[in-house]
Amino acid sequence: MLNFIKRYLAIMVVIAVYIWSMVAIFVTRASEAPGDAIVLRIGHWQLEASVREALDEMAAEYSAIREANGLKPVIIIQDAIPEMTYAQWATTQLMGNTAPDIMEVGAMLPYHLWVQYYNRYFIPITRYVDAPNPYNAGTDYENTPVRMTYKDGMRNSYIEELQEYMSVPLSQFGTRIFYNKDLLYKLTGHEIAPTNYRGFLAACQEIARHKDESGQPYIAIAGSRYHLPMWEGPMFDPITYGVVRVADFNRDGFVGNDELYVAFKTDRIDFHYPPIKARFKMLREITDHFQTGYTGLTRDEAVFLFAQQRAVFMTTGTWDARSLQAQAEGTFEVGVMDFPLPAPDDEYYGDIIEGPNYERLTGGFPFAITRTSKHPEVALDFLLFLASRENNEKLNRIIGWIPAIIGAQVDPLLKAFEPHLRGVYGNLNLFLGGETWIKWLQQYTLYQVNQITYDEMVEEFEPYFEKHGLKDLMEQQKDWRRGMQNNEQYLAGLRAKALYSDAEDQESNWIKYRVLSASRQIWPEINRTRQLKMLYEGPTIDAVGPYEYSDEVIDKVRERIKRELESNEQSDTSLHSPS
Amino acid sequence: MVVLLAVGFCGCAGVKQDKDAATLLKEGWESYQLGEFKLAIRLFEQAREITPENDPLYPDILYGLATTWNLRRPNQDPALAEGYYNRLLELAPESELAAWTMLGLARMKHLVPVGEDPDYEQVRQGYYNVIETYPDHLAADEAFLYLQASYVQDLEKTSAQKVVDQVTKFIEQNPDSKFISPCYSILSTCYEVLDEPEKRLDAELKAHETAEVDPTNPFQDNSWRYWMLATLAEFESGDFDTARLYYQKLLDEYPQDIRVYSVTLALERMDRIEEQIRQELKQGS
Repeated sequence: MLNFIKRYLAIMVVIAVYIWSMVAIFVTRASEAPGDAIVLRIGHWQLEASVREALDEMAAEYSAIREANGLKPVIIIQDAIPEMTYAQWATTQLMGNTAPDIMEVGAMLPYHLWVQYYNRYFIPITRYVDAPNPYNAGTDYENTPVRMTYKDGMRNSYIEELQEYMSVPLSQFGTRIFYNKDLLYKLTGHEIAPTNYRGFLAACQEIARHKDESGQPYIAIAGSRYHLPMWEGPMFDPITYGVVRVADFNRDGFVGNDELYVAFKTDRIDFHYPPIKARFKMLREITDHFQTGYTGLTRDEAVFLFAQQRAVFMTTGTWDARSLQAQAEGTFEVGVMDFPLPAPDDEYYGDIIEGPNYERLTGGFPFAITRTSKHPEVALDFLLFLASRENNEKLNRIIGWIPAIIGAQVDPLLKAFEPHLRGVYGNLNLFLGGETWIKWLQQYTLYQVNQITYDEMVEEFEPYFEKHGLKDLMEQQKDWRRGMQNNEQYLAGLRAKALYSDAEDQESNWIKYRVLSASRQIWPEINRTRQLKMLYEGPTIDAVGPYEYSDEVIDKVRERIKRELESNEQSDTSLHSPS
Repeated sequence: MVVLLAVGFCGCAGVKQDKDAATLLKEGWESYQLGEFKLAIRLFEQAREITPENDPLYPDILYGLATTWNLRRPNQDPALAEGYYNRLLELAPESELAAWTMLGLARMKHLVPVGEDPDYEQVRQGYYNVIETYPDHLAADEAFLYLQASYVQDLEKTSAQKVVDQVTKFIEQNPDSKFISPCYSILSTCYEVLDEPEKRLDAELKAHETAEVDPTNPFQDNSWRYWMLATLAEFESGDFDTARLYYQKLLDEYPQDIRVYSVTLALERMDRIEEQIRQELKQGS
């Protein structure tokens, strides 16, 4: 016996632990849910207390509605996983077939991995989002397909590689500047933060002149390496919109990295082009009011400075709104303001800045249903419940976020987050890959911390960019044929789907097949030649810039107007001549 | 443990025996679509084992095997794929899948490994074979598109003129082709090369009118096309009426589009230049 134990001790321990863990899981699960209830597990990375409260409250309401309709109650169990470990957790759960019924998706892992995961582990919901949401019955959306009830049309839920909608987003996000209203008033006398750029800078300067009780100077803006992109995206980058006028050679409305490179190489543009120079000037003017060494600081350090009332302004997103409010409760009042904009008559920026930044509406907080769910129909029904106008408003009111559904009311604090749907956008994509990008990061980082001037940065980077850019771009794109092969693999699957699908879906699948075959497989070689011609021979546009008229076009317009004027004159003459 | 494995093995064996060829074929394609190529091949092979060569399903199974061996990455086997494709053509040259099979063979010649260039003579011959053998099949129309694109891809005037002739003839003879819209798009590219802006705009307008739209795809909207038509009309043809029409359509149908601001600038720009010319002409007269 002793020998037996000695021999098999290790395996017996493993078996015992396995049995113990099974019993523990069974007992825990049984205690979480009554015998007749359907249990739905939901995994997400939102550790904010308000999110968990909101989901619990909505789940209780959902369950009550089900019971009132004679259906089994539903218990929702949340797995709130920290962002740092969500990727590993999601991967192991999905691969081990132990994933929750519903999972928050789309972030923490690279996009291409999510595409693979969607394909293998999640249920497509296209046919359900094309139908009306039953929880919108009795409203204006009673007959509207689910996807059309979304502010962004569920654009981000559609996975183009799969040609399917995969997730149900429940909120919207945006970034703005938060500020300490009491401290701003105390230091500057402003009750409301100035939204004019010069006024904002003046307020920052005024704040920096004051010291707190311990003799430490106040910081105007709490910054960190986490926060800088939240200034760059909405405030600095849109200044470069004007680059479109000289470098958008294919006139698609955007400046590609290849187009920008050609514009530099052919001397159509340089770093002294006013919109480019202005972008970096504004960065300097704003970051001069950040605390020293901000590029080495983390998000938490900046938030701490703000919460401790040592800084007045801080930019962040809707996701932080409620927690900042909670931290400030009883101490100071939190205000939210839009990014300050120079006035049209501003001496320097007036002629350069054309408007506020464009903000695309995109749904966030998206959930998908796993293939291993024992109750996928209930999981879907619960998500539709949360995506109805009334319930989406309620869910987001509890959390403190912006609803994703059209017509759902927004919390007053978040009114300032209403996106700008008419505005300008950045057109300075310097990313060509390889050495030029490393060089850029080195120089730009030094400029950010004021160790080199703008001219020094330009002198160091611009010749390097022009000399090595082409090699980097070619290297980055050398695998373009692989994209065609991936498309071919995908299209063969889609063709099979069309060949073998039911009559109901067949035509739709063939349309998808034809549209994608034509759009993805015909043009890569042509576009490749077009790009090479542009890179080696320069743009073929005759006029000075892509959005300027050639002499031939002006002549055509002149001829037409001349004809119109002559025709008007003739009709005037005939009207006034005696009959 | 041994018992458990044995039970599992028996279970799997049981499943294998229960499934008919049609089910295995269906599951094979599902596995292919999930990127599970090894499993797809196993399922197609199982279907082949239980299906006689004269069974109507046999070509479908060969097609599944050929496609998977051709397009799986990594571990593709082009020689094996070609063998399956050719066997299908021998056994069932009249089947629905024969045209797709011939197109598959042509595409194999076209989609060469990364870093290599296709032998365009061979590629084109492959497409000609599909067009000549199955002239009324969708695969032939697709082959025609790839063929013409292979000529125009050098963006040289001589090739472009040849393609204009071929595509114009195709459109006349096949007005109901499901690929008519991309044909017009190819024509537009040719006219761009030939520097004929009015014809280019006309081809793009027809491409737009005949385009198939998948209504469930939010990325497949018309905003980019409206923008392209408007800018072509404004800057290439000097046709401000058409430009205004499509800028306005973009504004009306896509009020949240990123280019809305640029559209308002364009409308103002055209008004301004027309007014300027009008004043000049009035002063001149």
